[in-house]
Amino acid sequence: MAGASETDTQLVEQETTETDAVAGVAIGLSAVLFALAVAAMFERVSLTGTIAGVQTVTLLGGLLTALGVAVIAFGVGSRFGYVETDPDPSAGLIAGFGAAVPWIVVGGAVTLQTLGLSPTVSVFGGLVVGAVAFALTVLPREDVGSTLPLGALLGLTGLVFLTGVIGPTWVWELDWAQQAAITAEFFIPVATLFTTLYGGWASAKAYGGFGARGRHMGAYVLVYLNALSIVAFLFILVAFVVVQGVPGLLNGVELGLGTGPQTTILGVSVTLPVSVPFVMNGVALFNDFQGVLPAIVGTVWLVAGAVTLAVPLGVGAAVFLTEYADRGRFTQVVEVATNGLWSTPSIVFGLFGFAFLIPRFGNGKSLLSGMITLGFMLLPLVVITSREAMLSVPDEYRDASAALGVTKWQTIRSVVLPAALPGVVTGVILGVGRIAGETAPILLTMAGGTFIPGSQTVDVIGGFQFTTSPPFVANPALLEATSALPYQLYALISAGVGASSNVGNADEFRWATALVLLMVVLSFYAIGIATRYYFRRQLKHT
Amino acid sequence: MAPVTDSQSGRIRSAVGGHLRRTREFVEDTEPPALAIITVMILSLLGALVGFLAVSDLTIVPFVVFLTAAGIGWFRYQEETAYVIALMMTVSTILILGLIIVFIFRESVPVIRYESATVFGITVPGLRMFIQPNWDAVSPPIRYSMVPMIHGTVMVTLIASAVAAPLGVSAALFLSEIAPSTVREVVKPGVEILAGIPSIVYGFIGFTVLGPWASTQFQTTGQGSYLFVGIVVGVMALPTVVSVAEDALSSVPESMKSGSLAMGTTDWQTMTSITLPAAFSGVSAAVLLGVGRAIGETMAATVMLRGVPRLTEPLVNVFYGQETLTSIIARNYGEADGLQMDALFVAGVILFVTVLVISIGAQYIEWRMHKRLGGEI
Repeated sequence: MAGASETDTQLVEQETTETDAVAGVAIGLSAVLFALAVAAMFERVSLTGTIAGVQTVTLLGGLLTALGVAVIAFGVGSRFGYVETDPDPSAGLIAGFGAAVPWIVVGGAVTLQTLGLSPTVSVFGGLVVGAVAFALTVLPREDVGSTLPLGALLGLTGLVFLTGVIGPTWVWELDWAQQAAITAEFFIPVATLFTTLYGGWASAKAYGGFGARGRHMGAYVLVYLNALSIVAFLFILVAFVVVQGVPGLLNGVELGLGTGPQTTILGVSVTLPVSVPFVMNGVALFNDFQGVLPAIVGTVWLVAGAVTLAVPLGVGAAVFLTEYADRGRFTQVVEVATNGLWSTPSIVFGLFGFAFLIPRFGNGKSLLSGMITLGFMLLPLVVITSREAMLSVPDEYRDASAALGVTKWQTIRSVVLPAALPGVVTGVILGVGRIAGETAPILLTMAGGTFIPGSQTVDVIGGFQFTTSPPFVANPALLEATSALPYQLYALISAGVGASSNVGNADEFRWATALVLLMVVLSFYAIGIATRYYFRRQLKHT
Repeated sequence: MAPVTDSQSGRIRSAVGGHLRRTREFVEDTEPPALAIITVMILSLLGALVGFLAVSDLTIVPFVVFLTAAGIGWFRYQEETAYVIALMMTVSTILILGLIIVFIFRESVPVIRYESATVFGITVPGLRMFIQPNWDAVSPPIRYSMVPMIHGTVMVTLIASAVAAPLGVSAALFLSEIAPSTVREVVKPGVEILAGIPSIVYGFIGFTVLGPWASTQFQTTGQGSYLFVGIVVGVMALPTVVSVAEDALSSVPESMKSGSLAMGTTDWQTMTSITLPAAFSGVSAAVLLGVGRAIGETMAATVMLRGVPRLTEPLVNVFYGQETLTSIIARNYGEADGLQMDALFVAGVILFVTVLVISIGAQYIEWRMHKRLGGEI
């Protein structure tokens, strides 16, 4: 259809024209506004203060109005032929709905708040305004349709800020039974953020000259922004926890020979050359620095137990499903069951452990119950990832092995499993990362106590005993309630500030616990992802 | 679709017949000692299971017998033993799901009996939990209504879906269609790591940072709002949506996309008119699974909500967050006993059934999509 002409315009429009520059400036303006809105939301920029000598709200309003005018000018200019573009007959339904949504909000809010009408009327008012915006977007040619309603939205928001109708002290009391209000501190950044996104979208479309290319441009701007925000969010989150947690973690750290606690490694007693009290101590009255060692050890044992249970079961089930069973009713049921288990909420696993495991292991919360519960949670993930890994082993491998005259099991053992090993290992590590941070299942099955003394650090290996009565083997360490990092954090939060006075700075202690938990979990992920890269590179080399 | 050739019962009969025949062949082909060992293994494991269910101290005896039999079998008849063990492990996954169903349902029976209500002269067990909004475990009349928690879960899930669905699908499009490979190598692990951040860490940040902030912004009494719990849970459900939707998008055959691009369309036109419609069911399955995650999210909700089971006033008041189905379990299991504990199990049953239905629905949608695209099921 428009393919040939499109290539032509692309070839012709190599140099930057003035109109391109206008659209480019509009995009730049959107970026600035976006940054300002985010900064205002996190209170990096004060709404009551000034930026470069101008009131913040006035500045925001002015910029929004300018952006709106630029967007409308571009659209109208294109309609009357001053700007060379390539618009379609209509902006399309998606753009119509996109424009209708903010206008519904505006219409509803104005009828409700400014005119003071009843909620039913305001819903109606919102819908009418939204319908008008929809019609204005869909009916005219694309250049007008995709700029006019959005530009008007920007202009309206900007003028409302500029004229001080909504100033820094504006409050909208909602008059609800449970008191709530919308304040300017919330409304101004959020309104700026959303209208700016629309403005950026419209200007990106304009920059692309509307039509297929324009829409491509507009969509790409939003999609890239979204991806960027996700990555940025992740970094900010991790950085925030690190910054908050490091002071607590490094409390009383000493470096140098003979400063650390004594431990026994392979039968040799050594004194560690570093002392980090937070991860090497428990909580005790006479400790100089309190720590979370019991929780760390608890987490390690928990993960070890869950892996011992889930990995053999899961890999075995995956072997059966991919190698032995024919595709049919049975495999389908197993698949549905594993996927169902995978999406079962973690708290339901906790309830199950509470009802099923606790009465069977000494009628109290125990490490063993926690291990098994988490093992059940890990199981579906191991089955799913191992199955994927085994399915991706080429059939030629199996055929070649079978052609040597060996049995099916020998093929599986010496061909399929080694080839699928990287995938299985990666899946298991990532799954472990997931369960290591789970709180809800162990809440009901394993954990007790907010502050665990260092003397109660579990010692599973040393705990085994043989008894004369059934079941003949006993391990008190496995049957005792203990702590784990995620539970420790939860207990610290729910205990409140008063209860944690015996750890000195309670807030520091909590953030440091969160940091240690995050480090443990993320290191599993880092190892898992690194393993995947390693094996992938190995595969490429061979 | 091909017309159904044989009736349901006929298919079942032939399937059962096939199993019987295969079992008979297996028995005939296997040497008698191997068969004996396999029988011992199966019987002893069944015995161990029964003993475990009956809370018997002697459970260890059949289990040791099983281990011994398996050990002997492994050295003498590895082929057959491996097969049987793999089969048992497969059955165990179904068994676990079955046990979960049995045990959480069994525990919730007493309170369902207690909360019976009479409608038109018929007594319906459990009905009163859904027709009045009072949860009071302390002062009479003792009532365990699920209505406030269902309301909370619905609010949180709606907000979370509004966050996770558009952002997740857009990120999946980015990863599978748009991003250059170097960018993808950075963003994809990033999304995975986002899935790995423990929910309690999200909850902690929400509790210490977002909660007080929201409370001053909206001038509410005390902190805890469905709005911000919903946003946080939406971020937590995001990775699920991204990874499942990305799988669906990249399973659209390359030939379809190339065909479209060869017509001279832009990449975005190809995405909206070819890739997204073809993968639509897979993408909606991704959103469904994200919704399932959001419903089941526990710790962030527990830490950030107020923990008072009641409806917000008015119902759309998202600036107050009372309690969800998940958080009431996590908050109250400690002091609960008797009927109240059973009521928590009812909350668990509602969660479990809802999420299971969502999971099965999503799988059905994905299965249909694969079938239509002609790929391997």
